[in-house]
Amino acid sequence: MGALIRLLAGRAAQAVLVALLVGTACFLMVRLLPGDMAYRIAASRYGYDLVDSAAAEAVRRELGLERPWIAQLGAWFTDLARLDLGTSLASGEAVTDALAVQLGHTLLLSVAALLLSLLIGPPLGALAGLRAGGGWDGALLAASAALRALPAFVIGIGLMLWLGVSWDWLPVAGVGGWREVVLPALTLALGLAAASSRVTRDAVAGVVASPFFGFARMKGLSDAAAFRRHGARNAAIPVVAYLGLQLVVLIEGVVVVESLFAWPGIGHALVHAVLGRDIPMVQGTALAMGLLFVTLNALTDLACWALDPRRRHA
Amino acid sequence: MTAPMGLIVEDLRITGPEGVLMRGAGFTLRPGEPLVLLGETGSGKSLLAQAVMGALPPGLRAEGRIVLAGRDLLPLPPRERRALWGRCIAMLPQEPWAALDPAMRAAPQVEEVDRLVHGRPAAEARRRTAARFRHLGLEGAGGRYPFQLSGGMNQRVALAATEAAGADLLIADEPTKGLDADLRDTAGRLLRGEAEAGRMLLVITHDVALARLLGGRAMVMLAGEVIEEGPLPDLLEAPRHDYTRRLVGAEPSRWAPWPRRAAGRMVVEARGLGKRLGGRELFGGLDLTVGEGEVVAIAGRSGCGKTTLGNLLLGLARPDAGMVRQGGQVGPLGLQKLYQDPLAAFAPSQPLGQGLAELCRRHGLAAGGVAALLPRLRLAPALLARRPSEVSGGELQRFGLLRALLLEPALLFADEATSRLDPLMQQEVMALLGEAAAERGTALLVVTHEAALAEKVAGRVVRLGAGGEAGAEGARPAPELAGQGI
Amino acid sequence: MRLSRKRLAGGLMLAAVAAFALLGPLHGADPLRQNLSDALLPPGGAHPLGTDHLGRDLLARLAAGARLSFGFALLAALAAAVPGTLLGLLAALSGGWTERLLLGLADAVQALPALLLVVLVTAFAPGAFLPLYLGLALALWVEFFRISRNTAAGVLARPQVEAARLLGFGRWHILRRHLWPEVAPLAATLFAFAAGTAVTTIAALAFIGVAARPPVPEWGSMMTELLPYHAEAPLALLLPGMLIFLTVLGLHLLAGRERA
Repeated sequence: MGALIRLLAGRAAQAVLVALLVGTACFLMVRLLPGDMAYRIAASRYGYDLVDSAAAEAVRRELGLERPWIAQLGAWFTDLARLDLGTSLASGEAVTDALAVQLGHTLLLSVAALLLSLLIGPPLGALAGLRAGGGWDGALLAASAALRALPAFVIGIGLMLWLGVSWDWLPVAGVGGWREVVLPALTLALGLAAASSRVTRDAVAGVVASPFFGFARMKGLSDAAAFRRHGARNAAIPVVAYLGLQLVVLIEGVVVVESLFAWPGIGHALVHAVLGRDIPMVQGTALAMGLLFVTLNALTDLACWALDPRRRHA
Repeated sequence: MTAPMGLIVEDLRITGPEGVLMRGAGFTLRPGEPLVLLGETGSGKSLLAQAVMGALPPGLRAEGRIVLAGRDLLPLPPRERRALWGRCIAMLPQEPWAALDPAMRAAPQVEEVDRLVHGRPAAEARRRTAARFRHLGLEGAGGRYPFQLSGGMNQRVALAATEAAGADLLIADEPTKGLDADLRDTAGRLLRGEAEAGRMLLVITHDVALARLLGGRAMVMLAGEVIEEGPLPDLLEAPRHDYTRRLVGAEPSRWAPWPRRAAGRMVVEARGLGKRLGGRELFGGLDLTVGEGEVVAIAGRSGCGKTTLGNLLLGLARPDAGMVRQGGQVGPLGLQKLYQDPLAAFAPSQPLGQGLAELCRRHGLAAGGVAALLPRLRLAPALLARRPSEVSGGELQRFGLLRALLLEPALLFADEATSRLDPLMQQEVMALLGEAAAERGTALLVVTHEAALAEKVAGRVVRLGAGGEAGAEGARPAPELAGQGI
Repeated sequence: MRLSRKRLAGGLMLAAVAAFALLGPLHGADPLRQNLSDALLPPGGAHPLGTDHLGRDLLARLAAGARLSFGFALLAALAAAVPGTLLGLLAALSGGWTERLLLGLADAVQALPALLLVVLVTAFAPGAFLPLYLGLALALWVEFFRISRNTAAGVLARPQVEAARLLGFGRWHILRRHLWPEVAPLAATLFAFAAGTAVTTIAALAFIGVAARPPVPEWGSMMTELLPYHAEAPLALLLPGMLIFLTVLGLHLLAGRERA
């Protein structure tokens, strides 16, 4: 139990780090942006034609930009700690409200992609691992090496043009029913499966070659029973542990793939905010993505803890 | 024609890509009378076990006849040979801590044999397993994971699994590898019990003491050939073949005792030494002085703190209590060490000669020193061009000795330096170590788990006692946790 | 044997892309010159690979993109590898507070996925190259640091180092003879992977418009520009993707083994 608490405390510390990192970066961004910040904000709020120095001055007072920077930093993090993320400079909408909508879309896409990748990667990898060195193993190795050399957006364009445009099977952009989620989820899933199939392959091959698997067969268990009893669980431990590393790929992929397929999630919003210099939105979306990453990592930790007695009793 | 009980092997040859690996082996194994296959690493004895099992590595081929209970096994298709595993032939694995599923508790690993191989209901499987665990002194171990059990207990769990499978033929390949002397005796007695219960027992080992303990018959193998066979213990008392004679003579208990040397000035001295490890006291209030030219042994079971004591004396670790002092005549390089695994003690990518040359340059030693020591330690100069992994363990340990001797140390700490070598090599390396130390008046500190070896070489033996490995006799009420071999 | 064949294949792929990058300018076309009357020409004639939607020569643009990607990847990977590896060795050798501080720093950087970190840094000046370098180096040095520190710490705990100290050898010898031979090959493998990551990252960021915006001839942004014309000029859309694929696959194969 102590091991579990240490584990979760580590993830909580990571969450705090994410907030500090994102908060500091965005604070610096405000300070370092060229031009008069208040004037720019006022302009984005009222339109360039209507801005005058009085409006800019009002904004400056409202944001506390005339105070010393240390006080501003303190205020910045106080707001952050109260989960007050401010309002979008572009739309005037509260950042938290926008995030609530976007997070739902991103979660749907991430979970669909993860499930799809788990359906593709580990089963194919396990087949290759059971016959390591065989023809299927070689073919899978080549396929996964090729997929891993393709950035997500190239895979996405390929799928979009092939399944979406040429065959006219699936819609290539937007949200709606399940059909819209297929292409972006498949794009992400292929990249994830390329990696997880290799990890599964190595894990299964390692377990099959291990002394304990050999001994299970020598006890008289059939190959199927030996694999069910001693193979699957032991092979799953490294695969699940690796899932944690894969989440990096997933989160990175979400940013690009959402933009490609015009999927209105957090990644899409982040890119928009960066391009529009909408710093409250940059902070909100980056924070949400970072915390999503931490949460998924914590879930992976829990799965590892449940699977591996050596961790539970460490 | 009646089917004879037992295992008959006739004219068994094993060939691989590099040629013949074993030629013309033959024997008859009957229930109740163990057969021990004695030989060094690389003599082909494990191949014989794999051939009987039908689990030769890919690329190797067996010819001849292997007849089990009247059935010739070699012509059988792989599927039918595989069907014999567990039910007719069982193999007790080497290094049992690696042979049990690390993510499953001990009892289910035995129960599953009753349930899945013999189709018994779960409750009966549990009952039978509990009885087996009691019989083997494993009470309370069933709910633990293999990494929570000691090496000896893991071995007994594996043995329980082979018993459950019910095979008449039990093959044990190096069953005492990695176990110290006490556990070796326990394992030997348990195996003998299996034979006495009516099973056919084939044990493969390089350990003469285990062979003597098991009784029955023995075959001695050398370079893929059986050179001698006969009943135990007669074969070991009056060996006919020269190799067997040397093998028996290489047992530490048969060594000639080393001449005692008078102690000169103090080299290292410990007063009131104490050290704890993981909340457990390894030793406390220990006084020890090693004088010039003396041979002192530290003996005890694995995990009792022998190596730690040696490292404290060399200043490689700090004591929790007490102090260590060196003699005024001892220079900064005056304390040297030989390691249990010589391969881990050399930079792997550097040719041996280059490493020695660097050592000479570093300390301004005459280059002729290496050339002079090579023949003394029976090392061929050609080996200097090789990397550590390209010479044998015995050769590499002698290079470790050479390297230390170049610096003219006042004390040499041999930390289980020969425990991973084959018996003949162990004897040779220890003899060279003793001679070299005697010629130079170097003090020797020998750490070993073999009591006999300690007795023969040392003028003084320090025994570190309590704690350590669990369950020598399986009589302890609660199994202790142990990290040995994991 | 199989390993070296893989590496050879990877080296050949990279050599082909490099040759393309260096020989492209010989063709003489300006990658930025527009000529709307020549838009979306098929390969042939004055434009061996055709033109894009603004009538720019594709061969010249792709070759310029290759130079940009190669230079960027090498510099970014180098900027991560050198400090990362050295700090890893420093942490392992010195231990104590130095090591704890560096490990904490590495944890902090890895609290966020690398691309997110890079996007955050590029947000300071979207489209500029300097934040892209800084962001990537900042994200990638951690892997070099970890592998170098963990490997070195593992070697330092081995008897070979204790033996070397007993034999009177100093730090420099331990670094050169014991640590470096183990750390260097791993760092080299990681370097190839890091360069691959740099190539895909700049392409991805350019594709979503955060870095290297048009008209800069960058593979990712070329694909963004040409995506609407996929029906008219499929080859023009395909070629930058193919070059990214060849470069990254070449780097991965050259690495010679799986990523640690």
